[in-house]
Amino acid sequence: MAEKHKPAPMVDEVSEFEVLEIAVRELAIEKGLFTAEDHQRWTEYMHTLGPLPAARLVAKAWLDPEFKKLAVEDGVKASLEVGIDWVNSMPTHFGTPSDYCNLRVLEDTPKLKHVVVCTLCSCYPRPILGQSPEWYRTPNYRRRLVRWPRQVLAEFGLQVPEDVEVRVEDSNQKSRFIVLPVRPEGTEGWSEDQLAEIVTRDCLIGVAVPKPGKTANDPRPVRPAVNPYHH
Amino acid sequence: MAEINPKYFELDKEMRDRDLDESTPVSLLEDVKGKGRVWDDLCEQYGVDNPDPPWRITLEATCDMLAGGYWETFNVCKPKEERDSEEEQKHLDAVERRWEEDQLVNKYYDEVPFPERQLLALAHTLIRRGLFDEEELARRMEEIDRRLNSA
Repeated sequence: MAEKHKPAPMVDEVSEFEVLEIAVRELAIEKGLFTAEDHQRWTEYMHTLGPLPAARLVAKAWLDPEFKKLAVEDGVKASLEVGIDWVNSMPTHFGTPSDYCNLRVLEDTPKLKHVVVCTLCSCYPRPILGQSPEWYRTPNYRRRLVRWPRQVLAEFGLQVPEDVEVRVEDSNQKSRFIVLPVRPEGTEGWSEDQLAEIVTRDCLIGVAVPKPGKTANDPRPVRPAVNPYHH
Repeated sequence: MAEINPKYFELDKEMRDRDLDESTPVSLLEDVKGKGRVWDDLCEQYGVDNPDPPWRITLEATCDMLAGGYWETFNVCKPKEERDSEEEQKHLDAVERRWEEDQLVNKYYDEVPFPERQLLALAHTLIRRGLFDEEELARRMEEIDRRLNSA
């Protein structure tokens, strides 16, 4: 006899926050700030986004020196090869409203480690990497990374040797960045799919490096910023 | 390579140098903050492991739409008083919203987890800027609560 179907667990109550989100959206639509149709189209598009295309871009670059060259020279063009058209595939057909159309791929070397931040707000290459994690948005990460990158990376579990330069790239009004890490040892002969699995979101931001067998991001602590904003 | 708008650097400095002007707690949002059950707690109670509440993406979409959505190719980052057209006045630039979110979270919603804090800050910002008022929002929340709990 077939086993009884067990429904997946679900949250069976309506929270005040869920109500607030709908209320804010409905009022904004009623006030003419945007239309329900535009919001719906944008939401559907956002649901399609995630870090897999960026992971695949890195894996391809590891396997194909010509593609790596293209990725470093023209990230937007290289993105096409992993199914991301920064300009034409957005519902806008002219790029996204706050992600713009300039992706730069930062190539790590054994003597150079890149890491990405947005000191001003939380700019992030969403079309190719999905939604930003909470810690990336915090003033604590944004302020401290640019001042003490090695210490902050160490808190993420990444000890960068003194003879390796750390370069922090600050996202800005026109540019978005992902990191192309060094291909780790122990991955010789791996397929593109195998390689893409170990290129996690955190590797693409630059706070982690790929390791064979590691396919998920670690939980990251979120710390408050305690100093006044001017400091 | 696109050139960086020099206004970006001016804005960067302005953002670092200024403070949130007079702001007051919004009692409705304080109420939500106090009574509302956050996603982490709901997940634990119901055994759900989705890291984000189902409304996170719709909230992000609302923020993008407020920034100009489809019709604004680039974020112009102009302060509200410098915007010319009525259409421009309706926009809430991403960088403005995020700056204000940081300030409001620091002041009122520090103990609320993400993305609930982002939502509270956005509602607070829209009320502060007069895009709707607290009473309207309270009425709408009551209606939605009745609607969602009518099954």
